[in-house]
Amino acid sequence: MPELIDGSENISVHGIFNWILLLAIFSVITVIGNYLGYKHPITDSLVGMGILSGITLAGVWMERYLPFNISSIIYISVFGIILAFPGMPTSEFVLYYVSKVELLSIVTVFLAYVGIGMGKSWNEFKSLGWRAIVVTVLVIAATYYGAAIVAHVVLVLTGVPAV
Amino acid sequence: MKDNPEQVEHIYREKTDKRILKKNPWRDYRLHGTVLILVVIAELIGTQKIPITEDVAITIMPLIYTIVLGLAFYLAKPITWIGRKQARIAEGAMMLFIGVLIAKLAVSSGQSIHLIFTMGPALILQEVGHLATILVLPIALFLGFKEEAIGMTNSIGREPNVAVVVDRYGFNSPESRGVFAIFIIGTVIGTIFISFLVTLSLSFLPLHPYAFAMASGVGSASMNAAAIGPTLAAFPGMESQIEAFAGFSNLLSFCVGIYIVIFIALPLTERMYRWLEPKIGKDSITKKEED
Repeated sequence: MPELIDGSENISVHGIFNWILLLAIFSVITVIGNYLGYKHPITDSLVGMGILSGITLAGVWMERYLPFNISSIIYISVFGIILAFPGMPTSEFVLYYVSKVELLSIVTVFLAYVGIGMGKSWNEFKSLGWRAIVVTVLVIAATYYGAAIVAHVVLVLTGVPAV
Repeated sequence: MKDNPEQVEHIYREKTDKRILKKNPWRDYRLHGTVLILVVIAELIGTQKIPITEDVAITIMPLIYTIVLGLAFYLAKPITWIGRKQARIAEGAMMLFIGVLIAKLAVSSGQSIHLIFTMGPALILQEVGHLATILVLPIALFLGFKEEAIGMTNSIGREPNVAVVVDRYGFNSPESRGVFAIFIIGTVIGTIFISFLVTLSLSFLPLHPYAFAMASGVGSASMNAAAIGPTLAAFPGMESQIEAFAGFSNLLSFCVGIYIVIFIALPLTERMYRWLEPKIGKDSITKKEED
């Protein structure tokens, strides 16, 4: 594979090629973890990861090549919802295979990359001091509890039974 | 932080593209091989429950092992094959892999779309619950922060929030320094912290399962991921609903949350600051810390 040069018109092709290979590696690792942790059949979960990777690829591509300033997260969410929408011809197929990939298997692999990636911020982190750490921890807790308590109150007020 | 204000807007996209388009990130077998080993170790250890009291137990899930081991591998001196280059690639690749996570959550949301519509009011109003971060402002002032506190407590301080604060106050302002501090600390300890916070809350707080699911969408994909784990484990048989709410609330945090920060949270934090600072403000400690 030749080195990529900035501004080369082939970049988009190589970009997609890189994305596909990365997603393939991610899928294989996830499927192995999914098999070890949950004993889901390997071929089924590979198809499931293929579907999820396809949605991701479409979203990431559209974010960069469509002339709208829309985040890939929105494209991906919309595709995922539409493909699984009850009554869509795709929904049965998508739901079956995607359900073979546990969310936690994806999260476990994803957070391994996060862990390695965040090592880079370690020195900056150490220089920040305990006061900032206290504030960060409280801010995260406040966000979580704020949302959880409001959601709980609204759910109770609207009479949603605690299943 | 080296990004200048113009770049901050597309912080996700820029980081991903710089690392993914130029190098051949799939080729870095050291990184991916290490991740595979971490995942295998994590799945083989499996979920462990550590009882504290009779009803309260801390659940440690494989996702905690991979994140902690990942950081440990980067920091450990004897492990020379995971260095700065691997961390950069991991960071870029992670931005792409967020998509897979979002796609899985979206499929669950699509499957339970009727539930999403029924729970609409709760889902939308809990976004306003994120304003609770402003309650931390007095504590930040008490600890000796000045204008930094505005950047620190207006929101959870992830990428979109950093962009908003930098856009409003300028790159070298104390407010931006504050939000950068929250961003960096949140990056390093946020994921691990929130997973323990959620685990403990699940045993202590008698909230609705859906409320826990919705609250996990805090506007950061990795923190969302870490918060869903224990929630899923605590309510077996409700996986698809919990995933649906978590995914949809994260999506809302992305689309709506940013406007709540711009139009409500930041003005409110500023007003609180002007009211409280003369009363409880201490001598600034930031100068000291920077020297």
